[in-house]
Amino acid sequence: MIKNQEDTIVSAARRAGRQALDESAGKQLLASHGIRVPQSRIAKGVADVDAVMQGLQTPVVVKVMSPDILHKSDAGGVKVNLKSVAEVKLAIDGMLNAPKIKGARIEGFLVEEMAPAGHELVIGGLRDPQFGPLVMVGLGGIFVEILKDVSFRLCPIARIDAEEMLDELKGAAILKGARGGKPASREAIIDVLLKIGGEDGLLLKHAADISEADINPLIVSDNGAVAVDARFILG
Amino acid sequence: MNIIEQFTPLFAPKTVAVIGASTKGNALPNVFIRRIREFGFSGDIYPIHPGAAEIDGLTAYKSLADTPRPVDYAYIAVSGAQIPGMLAAAKGHVRFAQVISSGFGEVDEGKGLQDELVQAAKAGGMRLLGPNCLGIYTPRGRVTFAEIGPKEVGHVGIVSQSGGLGTDIIRRGLSRGVKFSGLVTVGNCADVTPSDLLEFYLADPQTKVIGMYIETAKDGRRLFDILRNARASKPVVILKGGRTQQGLAAAASHTGSLAGDDRVWVALARQTGCMLVDTLDHFIDTLLIFQTLTPRPQRPTRKVVLFGNGGGTSVLATDYFARLGLDVLPFEQGPIDALAALKLPPGTSITNPVDCPVGTLQQDDGRVAEKILDIICGQGKPEALVMHLNLSAFVGRTKPEVLDNLVAAAMRVQEKYPGQSHFILVLRSDGEPALEARKREFRDKAVALGVPVYDEMANAGHPLAALAAFERYKAVRA
Repeated sequence: MIKNQEDTIVSAARRAGRQALDESAGKQLLASHGIRVPQSRIAKGVADVDAVMQGLQTPVVVKVMSPDILHKSDAGGVKVNLKSVAEVKLAIDGMLNAPKIKGARIEGFLVEEMAPAGHELVIGGLRDPQFGPLVMVGLGGIFVEILKDVSFRLCPIARIDAEEMLDELKGAAILKGARGGKPASREAIIDVLLKIGGEDGLLLKHAADISEADINPLIVSDNGAVAVDARFILG
Repeated sequence: MNIIEQFTPLFAPKTVAVIGASTKGNALPNVFIRRIREFGFSGDIYPIHPGAAEIDGLTAYKSLADTPRPVDYAYIAVSGAQIPGMLAAAKGHVRFAQVISSGFGEVDEGKGLQDELVQAAKAGGMRLLGPNCLGIYTPRGRVTFAEIGPKEVGHVGIVSQSGGLGTDIIRRGLSRGVKFSGLVTVGNCADVTPSDLLEFYLADPQTKVIGMYIETAKDGRRLFDILRNARASKPVVILKGGRTQQGLAAAASHTGSLAGDDRVWVALARQTGCMLVDTLDHFIDTLLIFQTLTPRPQRPTRKVVLFGNGGGTSVLATDYFARLGLDVLPFEQGPIDALAALKLPPGTSITNPVDCPVGTLQQDDGRVAEKILDIICGQGKPEALVMHLNLSAFVGRTKPEVLDNLVAAAMRVQEKYPGQSHFILVLRSDGEPALEARKREFRDKAVALGVPVYDEMANAGHPLAALAAFERYKAVRA
């Protein structure tokens, strides 16, 4: 059942000639592998907002959905911390008039519950031409961007590999609650790493179709991990 | 057919064919014929030549299909374009063909010819080594391409993508006491790859340690699977040249741009327990430690004692070893009291590092050193003991047998505490010819006794850290 659903997500995107899964499809794929994603619904436009907001907890975030826009934040296509229907409508109106969004093909707006506070991690995947799928983990923000503090393993990884990947990070102490911060659940991170890079993980299962993957950020609190944004490059 | 049976004709051929030898006796294949005869090859040698009846006193044959017995190993060094036809004509009569010639896949205009070569080898029913390589060195089969190389069959199995580096490995290995179970240069790896030979060496009872020089791993996934399934049953040391081509600027995701350089090789090492080294020296040094010492996963190496002459050398080595994750920590009170009770001359330091001037080391023909070593091993209980001797300080001041006495003393202490401490010898010298000669002679003796010998403390540190990493890996995983 789950397998069929996944096949549909990935193969439908490939049949449509897409080079990447859109955010909503990417999150469905993650959810089908048992990875928590925020509750979300799609609004076609301002008119849908009342209905879409039923059953979602505020605050929410709104993100534009367009095959033409890879970097949504840069284009002004992400608005966070919206606390009411009115604020959501205003945000969508604003996006429709943003210079970098106006001319793009717009498929809708993802309205999504905001994840609780936690540590930001990045979990990624990459298909090496010689070695096949690799899985990566790193701490978000400057750790990944500037310090390149990440560790890679070849898929499939075992539990001990996931443990060693985390121990290898220079920022490992931060996840344990260094400098008075709250610790991140190590179990939750390992669980996601195995669901992505393990024996039955997403990357090996879709090795033929997924060339790169990014869960960025994965928000990890002391009791769980939520994939807040996900990108899968097909090919 | 299992992997050993498949590769036995390569490592111990009964018949060798040679293509490219000239009637004048001066081509590379003529040299090859001369070398394997000198090396003691006792099987049949079949020169292949279109016109000649005899080459170097051996009956020549027109084609690979015409030899009296099937050919286990064919050495081929003629211009590339003729070779596919020759292989295709072999009709199942040849087991392994090694193509030395270049001008194939390593240059753009040769890629088509390499495809033809692979097809021809398949049609001829043989496995193909190369092209663009130098040959094999297999002491068990008495076949060698190299000018020098010991006849003794050792325990280190090598596969090298570079021919020239293969020669370096044999020569430098020889001078440091490394003995090989085989060395195969595979060049462009058109058919047989480093992974195939890794599989053979893992199964080969003669091979204890495996060394690989790899530039590109076209079958990287298979290499990973073989290493993973082997569960570090034998130490595998990888010298990686060149870097992978991922991390392209064009990569659209974070992960793509971060993968870069050699992270995949680091991952491979962490996951499978194989060891990555950066230089030819580290490669040989690491092979040597695994040739001589038996890994001890039940008590992975961490605590190291340094013992020898040279205070500054000890301090620098302590820093260097610490950076490699090895601990050179002061003894506890017990061993310190025991060493103090020996009432050693002034200038002797009895914590760890144990620093002894030459005068102390030569006392009583080395018997004092034996007492010190006994306390170090019996009470200090380090996982490794590095004895370093600065030869310049000995010369002219001691009887020549002092070195022998010191090593003999260390060996006796080893026997008294079996499996307690890995024993490593560092013989430091200043390049002065007489000292170097003495060192070489002494090194051979020590390696024959199973003691790895290094030139400097840093050279000993890297292989010791590799041994420690291998032991830790096995302790946790295997």
